[in-house]
Order: sequence, then C-alpha cells, then structure tokens
Amino acid sequence: MENIRNKRNRKFRTREYYGNSASDYHLLPFRFIELSESKEILVNEVGESLIVPRGTALKIAQRCIAENDPIIPDLISRFFISRKPIPELIDVLATRYRTKKSFLDSFTSLHIFVLTLRCNHSCHYCQVSRVTENREDFDISYNDIDLGIDHMFKSPSKKLTIEFQGGEPLLAFDKLEYAIERITRLNKDFKKELSFVVCTNATVFNTKNLQFLKEHNVLISTSLDGPEFLHDANRPKTGRNSYQLVLNGINYARKMVGHDQVSALMTTTRLSLDYPIEIIDNYLENGFNNIFLRPISPYGFALKNKTKNIYDDKKFLEFYKKGLDHIIKINQRGRYFVEDYTAILLKKILTPFCTNYVDLQSPSGIINNVVVFNYDGRVYASDESRMLAERNDLTFLLGHVSDSYESIFYGKKSKELSKYWSNESLAGCSDCAFQSYCGADPVYHYASQGDFEGFRPTSGFCLKNMGIIKHLFELMDFRKEEVMPIFISWISN
Amino acid sequence: MEFVCVNPSLLKISLSKEVYTIDVVYKCFYWYSGKYSVTINEGLSTIEIDLELGEGIQKVDGLIKRLKIDLIDFKTRDIVSKETVNIRELLVAKAFAHGDEFDESPPGEIADTPTNC
Repeated sequence: MENIRNKRNRKFRTREYYGNSASDYHLLPFRFIELSESKEILVNEVGESLIVPRGTALKIAQRCIAENDPIIPDLISRFFISRKPIPELIDVLATRYRTKKSFLDSFTSLHIFVLTLRCNHSCHYCQVSRVTENREDFDISYNDIDLGIDHMFKSPSKKLTIEFQGGEPLLAFDKLEYAIERITRLNKDFKKELSFVVCTNATVFNTKNLQFLKEHNVLISTSLDGPEFLHDANRPKTGRNSYQLVLNGINYARKMVGHDQVSALMTTTRLSLDYPIEIIDNYLENGFNNIFLRPISPYGFALKNKTKNIYDDKKFLEFYKKGLDHIIKINQRGRYFVEDYTAILLKKILTPFCTNYVDLQSPSGIINNVVVFNYDGRVYASDESRMLAERNDLTFLLGHVSDSYESIFYGKKSKELSKYWSNESLAGCSDCAFQSYCGADPVYHYASQGDFEGFRPTSGFCLKNMGIIKHLFELMDFRKEEVMPIFISWISN
Repeated sequence: MEFVCVNPSLLKISLSKEVYTIDVVYKCFYWYSGKYSVTINEGLSTIEIDLELGEGIQKVDGLIKRLKIDLIDFKTRDIVSKETVNIRELLVAKAFAHGDEFDESPPGEIADTPTNC
C-alpha cells in the first residue's frame, strides 16, 4: 500500500520508456473502492494497492490519464496496466499470485480433536453443548483417536497443527496424553513438523498435566474475557469465581511451561461492547503482548441466549475501532502490543504473503486447511460446523472417522461446498476491491443467512470485514506517519 | 438516465441500454437489494428499475447522487473486468501450472549488454 502523493520525483527512466501517448497501454486485472469523497483504493490481482484521487479508475479504464501523469509509472510497476498485451514480467506476477494462494499447497494442516464435551464452566456464549464433568460417555474413544490420527498423517501437509478442544479437554487428560504420545511416536516415520495446542479454560491445571504439556511443547490457549466483572458475567462457573481461577491458572502455567507458551482469547458479548479499553488494559496488566478482538460466533448454543450474545455488527465495528485506537496509543507510548486480527489483515495488505488464518481464505479454510474430529467420531468441515451439529444441523458433516480419507476429504459434501468457497466467484465479492484480503465463509453464511453463498448486502461477515479493512486503509492514509511504524512492527515480528 | 420519485416509497429509474449493460445494472442494484425492494425490467432500449421502501425513502436527492456514482463505478468495473478476462485466465493458469508449462521466454538474450551500463 502506498500513497502516490509521495512519488512525484522519478529518476532513472526516460519518458520514452513509458511510450508516447497516455492511451498506449493495456489494462491488467484490478478492482477499486471509494475510500472517501476525494480518494479511492485500487487493488490489483495479487493484493497490491494504491490510494489515488477519486475517479482515477475511470480515467485508467477510459485511457484519460495524461501522458506525464506521475501515476503512470506506479501503475506499470505495480501491475495495474501494461505497455504490452501480456506484460513482460507476467511470470513474476504469476509467482506472486501463487504465493498469495500458497496456503493451498499443503491442504489440511489444522486437525482439531474434540476430546470431550465435559466442562466445569457454563458460559452463555458457548457454541457447543457442554455436559457436566462426570459424563465420561461424552469423551472420544481411543479407537476414534487412532482413526483420526491415521487420517491426519495422510494429509500432504509438511506441517501439522493438532488442536485439542472440548468441553474442557484437560478433563479427558488420559485421552490427550494418549493422542500426543501416539502422534509423536508415529511421526518418527512421517517426519512432519508438529505443533500441539490445547484450548483450555485454565482452571484444571495440575503438576502432572502441565509437566506433560511442557515435555511435549504444547501451546496453551485459554479464554480471558477482560476485567473480573465482565469475565465472570460471560463465563460463570458453579461455586467459584472463574476470573481468579483463570488468572491463577495462567500464572501457574506460565511458571511451569514458559510465559510465551500461554495465550488467551476473548469473546465479545453484548456486555463487552461497552468496555474495549478495560478489556485491552486487562490483557496488558496480565502480561499479554497481544489481543484478538473477536466477535461472537452466531452459531450453536450461543443463539440460545440472544439477549446476551447477539448484537448489531455495526456495534462490533465501533468496539473494534475504539479498541484499535487505544492499542495504537499503547504502542505510541513504547509498549509493543498487537491486535491480532489487524495484524493478519495487514500481512495480507502490506506483504506478498498469505496467512494461515482459516476464516479469511479463498478458497475457504474449511477442509482445505481445517478439519474437526468430534468426540463422537463424526468429522466436520470446521469448528463452526460442529457447533451447528450440536443443534442437530448436520449440514457440514463430512462423514465418520471410520470412513475412508477420500470419502471424507474429497466426497460429495466437499464437492458441494466447493461451489461456494471461493470469493472470486461469489456475488458481491467478485468485484470487491478487498477480495484478496478477505475470504469466503459458507458455514457462517449458512448459519446466519440460510444458504452457503450468502447475501452480501446484509452479511455480517461482509460488513465486519469491509468495515475493518476500509478503516485500516483510512488509518494508513490519514494517519500514515503515526500508524505505519506500528503496523510494520506488527507484521515484522 | 431518468429518476422519477413516484411517491415517497417508490423511485423509478430509467437507464439507456446504450450506456449501461444489464450486467452493470444487476451488479450495482444488488447492493441496494438488502434495504430496498428492487425490480429490474429490461426493455428494448432501456432498463427500468423500481426501488421501493415501505417505510418511505429518506433523502431522495442523496440516494440519486449515490446511485449515479455507483453506476459509474460498476460500469468502470465492468470495463476492467471484460478487458482483462484473458490476461486474468493466463495469470491463474501460469500461477498453478506445473513446471514451466506456461513460462514466457525472457526478452532479449543472455549475452545482452545491460542497457543502463
């Protein structure tokens, strides 16, 4: 992303290099969107952008750009136009396109194992149907773990991430132990690069389980929703104060497995919307260097408590903007602190690379990057898919873990979903300037609008991502000197 | 281009097919169909669009101004999209081709003297 206002002085190339008339060029694929009344954003096929005066796209298309306009060299060098019908550097452009889609190279890399539905919390936004701590019949079987692992090692991906979820997966610690030990043992032959993650509420740690997690280099991902009053309202626990238990758990885990091995995620409920500053400050006070301002997922059991969980997406945008502004100020004061969603988007906007964040991919992350082995042996296209299943909607059920790899990953359901998982071919997305930064999410659109394709004018996914991406461009244009050093530091680390 | 506010709830728009294709009109008014009831009828030389809002259309002048801007933008997008369809296909084919199936020979020869020297 670069603003052409600062590119007036050009050296090295003569006027002849750029041809004799302004209309002497060919268009390359690009899209555009209004940024303000006086500016618009041009984005080419590989995600490179330019902020230009409003009306520039029209002038480019109509060949009305003056020959000596300083934008011409920018448009050529950044692949918006070409002097030849096929640019001489088309292979460079193709390589960049391939790089942007390189997340496809490895196919499914994130494998989620839902070890149990048992949980000691009763969060009102929990997307799955938890059961009480003593219901061991809601644990995954050893046989299903074996079958899931066998499928996982059939993935062509050189890197595999194994995420253990629940319920509270540490309540089924024997299953977690078994799975990690078997995977580690089998990997002596497969030689994949493994990452283990356990998603836990951090209230059931003990020396034994933490020692095991440390020995196997397992990352701990926990939930912290902000200050005590907010966290406890969102995440009630029978008998005890969850906030204090979670903080004790985080500190205990940091001491046992290392500070950087413990991360936290927050969920934005309706109550959270009024407290972005307090939530961020709470993360700072508790020693975190990052936060993911994450909206609630409108799936599964979260819908049972609409008054607490469902809100206008515009409210979330306000919450995000206010929070991001506060985080920018924190960084300006010299404290390195990252908003994770912003960093993901900035990497897509400012670098030639892609990210592994499955919700912002096209083709979509479902199946292509993530798959879920549920506690009952069923295999789902994503975590959100199993949340739907917990309300008896089996639309995204790919099969059973005992089915063949081919029927699960390349079966009829996968083929059906593939019609809707590329934003390049979705109504409203196909012309969108932010297409290469965004993704397709058939699960979200099915859950919120009733069909895989979705209807962009009222889509919460579209409103949120368009709003956030546009806001980032506004910041990078209107507050460039202030925010760019911070943003660059986020994507350089 | 003609805009007629028939009543507080209905705006009729008439566009010349010489200026706007039906594709452009569909893509543009798609974005209005979340808020308004949109009816598009294609005639011999014009495209007629009805925008209806049960509760009444507020700020009609602002809406017409926005529509004019959006129509120009979607027409521009259509020009770029249609003109670049082949190069885009080539680009994607090259990006996902195996080996050097679609590689271009670099211009010049290996023995060329660098022009800037």
